[in-house]
Amino acid sequence: MTPASLANLIEALRVLPGVGPKSAARMAYHLLQRERLGAARLATSLAGALEQLKPCVRCNNYSETEVCASCADPRRDPRLLCVVEMPADQNRIEETNAYRGHYFVLMGRLSPLDGIGPREIGLDRLVKRAQDGLTEEVILATNFTVEGEATAHYLGEMLKAKGLKVTRMARGLPAGGELEHVDAMTVAQALLDRKTL
Amino acid sequence: MSMAERVDNEAGFILHTRHYRETSLIVEILSRNHGRLALVARGARRPMSSIKSRLLGFQPLLLSWFGKGSLRTLHAAEWQGGDLRLQGRALMCGFYLNELLLKLLPTDDPHERLYDRYAQTLAALAGGNEAEPILRRFELDLLSELGYAQTLTHLIDGDEVRPERRYGYVFDRGVVVTEGGPGYAGKTLLDLATRDFSDPRTLAEGKLLMRALINHYLSDKPLLTRQLLIDLQQI
Ligand SMILES: [Zn+2]
Repeated sequence: MTPASLANLIEALRVLPGVGPKSAARMAYHLLQRERLGAARLATSLAGALEQLKPCVRCNNYSETEVCASCADPRRDPRLLCVVEMPADQNRIEETNAYRGHYFVLMGRLSPLDGIGPREIGLDRLVKRAQDGLTEEVILATNFTVEGEATAHYLGEMLKAKGLKVTRMARGLPAGGELEHVDAMTVAQALLDRKTL
Repeated sequence: MSMAERVDNEAGFILHTRHYRETSLIVEILSRNHGRLALVARGARRPMSSIKSRLLGFQPLLLSWFGKGSLRTLHAAEWQGGDLRLQGRALMCGFYLNELLLKLLPTDDPHERLYDRYAQTLAALAGGNEAEPILRRFELDLLSELGYAQTLTHLIDGDEVRPERRYGYVFDRGVVVTEGGPGYAGKTLLDLATRDFSDPRTLAEGKLLMRALINHYLSDKPLLTRQLLIDLQQI
């Protein structure tokens, strides 16, 4: 007979993606037997994160303040707004030190066949954000998957209808890429997206 | 479908992918000789996996898989090449085609002709042609292929459809003399039968008939991509 609190824990762990009843039970026993300190830290940090993190009113990324540190940074260029799907994408762009504008994080993408439409990811909030009077260019940096492309198209139409300049992140050969070793689809895309010199 | 099978280099398109367990994908495909089926791409979401970037929708692929039943494993995907590129509204229309196939086409049921029509339809959309006639033609071909489209040139009782008269359409039976109601012009039905969409009225009435038929065979389940296309038009 599983005690109720253990059964609750196992059930709760199943909210994690890809965790079925067996892995959930394994995780629960691991936490209780070998990681009691870690388990306590997990419990408090989870409660703390839920309590303190809310979407930044400007960029939609998680923040402990109403406006996050990135959005509040006066050294950033207010004329540029870069739209990404997930926080990890923003971090990736930040690592490059090649971009000093602002961000908007969609926290998802349009996925027509999964029932995720413009309402589900709140595209109108981005349109409102882009109309702050300072933004001159919106850079769409959603992924180059079919869903990312659909998102970029839909957003582009919405933003252009508001008179905003919209650009799409380029795609092509990787830095230092040699044609011979790059996959065929990438080479084809790079040819289609060629630019005039 | 109990025998284990191994299929190599089968022409196919990806209709949809969704996450499966921690690192894998379930890939819904339309293949030329094996119809629509679902494959598991194991480990495809691992950072080092090279297959995921090739599992792009609307691209002609050569797919290889093995296994049986619903647990078949995709083990290779090669791009066939070409400059098929759906962009903008054409891309949205592509999603619509995929949703129709996912919701109407049974699995493991080969439809070579439909596969070829799908490929031609994508090419027509990628070519920047006007989308409406392309979509109507595909809907008609899909419904005929599934045995859902009755003859449009003759009435149920065998009489010929006359272009100047108006008719009704009864699901699973066909064209009837209309007893009131809006109905469809005889010319619309004859144009649809020959896939001639040059008349704007054929396009408009054809859209209504296709919508009624598709809704009927979907048992009125909503088409998510149709709503998206409508939303997009209202921007
Ligand atoms: Zn922010």
